[in-house]
Amino acid sequence: MARGFPRRPKEGDFSSPLRSAAVAARVGLWLGVCFGIAFLTGLYSHFSQDTPPWLTLPTRPVNLYRWTQGLHVLAGTAAVPLLIVKLWTVYPRLFARFPAGRRDLVLTGLERGSIAILGGGSIFQLMTGLQNTAQWYPWRFNFRGTHYAVAWITIGALLVHIAVKLPVIRAAFGSDVEARQPSDRAVTAERSAGLSRRGLLRATWLASGVAVLTTAGIAVPALRRVSVFGVRSGSGPQDLPVNKSARAAHVTARALDPSYRLELRNGNTVRRLRRDELLALPQAARTLPIACVEGWSASARWSGVQLRDLLAIVGSSADVDLVVRSLQVGGAYSVMDLPANFVRDDDTLLALGLNGEDLSIDHGFPCRIIAPARPGVLQTKWVASIEVAR
Amino acid sequence: MTSELVGRGVVLLAGVVIGLFGLLSLLRLGLSNLAWTLVWMVGGILGHDVVLSAATLGLVAAGALLLPSSARAPSAVGLVVLGTVTLMAVPVLGRFGERPDNPTLLDRSYGVGWLVVAGIVAVGVIAVTVVAHRRGPGSEGEDG
Repeated sequence: MARGFPRRPKEGDFSSPLRSAAVAARVGLWLGVCFGIAFLTGLYSHFSQDTPPWLTLPTRPVNLYRWTQGLHVLAGTAAVPLLIVKLWTVYPRLFARFPAGRRDLVLTGLERGSIAILGGGSIFQLMTGLQNTAQWYPWRFNFRGTHYAVAWITIGALLVHIAVKLPVIRAAFGSDVEARQPSDRAVTAERSAGLSRRGLLRATWLASGVAVLTTAGIAVPALRRVSVFGVRSGSGPQDLPVNKSARAAHVTARALDPSYRLELRNGNTVRRLRRDELLALPQAARTLPIACVEGWSASARWSGVQLRDLLAIVGSSADVDLVVRSLQVGGAYSVMDLPANFVRDDDTLLALGLNGEDLSIDHGFPCRIIAPARPGVLQTKWVASIEVAR
Repeated sequence: MTSELVGRGVVLLAGVVIGLFGLLSLLRLGLSNLAWTLVWMVGGILGHDVVLSAATLGLVAAGALLLPSSARAPSAVGLVVLGTVTLMAVPVLGRFGERPDNPTLLDRSYGVGWLVVAGIVAVGVIAVTVVAHRRGPGSEGEDG
């Protein structure tokens, strides 16, 4: 390798038997499983945040979104070592010569093109996903829309890749991982000087396991102590982490204003209630999770008014869609649509208290929405008004 | 054989359709969004294919020169585990998303956490090397 270095490397420069279809197929299988899980749970999250009118999402189990989104982030985390090893095993292919014939040239060009899209999309998805979990936004594209679009592109390219490579994949799984394959390059050494193929596979599984274990505490409370790279330890005011503070949302003054009134609106019927009037209504208590799109989640005990009791005040049944507005001005989540099946659910509250205390300002004082099985960004804080949708 | 060809054709076609749907969704976000997406995507590819790959080749070459043969396989395992996990942890290690108004975000000592993980990996690599060395040169590369 070092000989003649700055010349461009050739495929034949790489002689390690670890860079083989035998390893690539086995790592690729699990990478495909992780991408499949991330894609499906990602779609679920996308439709939870942007539910089309024809779709009704379940309100049970109450932890559903906590599980799907935890799985989404952990599948992506597990995929990081898998992707890096997968790309390493096929790296020599990057320097392969193009064939001479025009037809072969076109086919090879198409195949390489689809692999460039697959590789670029895979790196992009894992990179932006991980950055998003740590709320690091150094880019100038719309994260949610772009992560969603590139997910479809990447899964499409993955299917093309599987269709093209199926014979190689079958051959790889059809023989022992250490055995020489027809797809091995002529220069491939018989034996590795260090690690065997099996050894590399075990190292890769170990790395994926360590990656998951050191982050899973964000969603699995039992793992909080070992998850040294978890983006949140699970602690916070009133024993619950905060995603967006009152200061960041610029609502502190309006939320603490003594003249605050919650506005309830059903057509022309409007009622405005002070917080102490809300506290005088029948109160219910529920244990429900905050489950963030960034994968972290934590359960808490909420107390407040059931939405059906609020709607009765303005003469509406609970069988309606609602529009909930926050005191927060602007921002993607300052207005939230609450579908009827969540409105009539016994567990959906306008929360006034958290873990036995008054709701703190960063958790949404004077009142917030808490509903089962919903993404955290839709558990609207600092509620200004609740309106029956027309 | 033909049914397999048909099956592969269906999967390939499904992949093209799904990919085009994604491309359309991406285009709908506007040209500026597309341009920035491409910048980050190409940046990611170059970051891997040039920077990370060259660094890995350099590390492996250095290991081959400096490490005794019984240490090579365990060190390679250590590199795979610590290298990939470190990359995965870059966003928290750098604390890039930290905000003064929200102490519940990035509320761990990530540097200390990394040292603990690196320490465990190092101890594992040394322990396996010593065992492999005692077993003699005949067993090198057998397991990892």
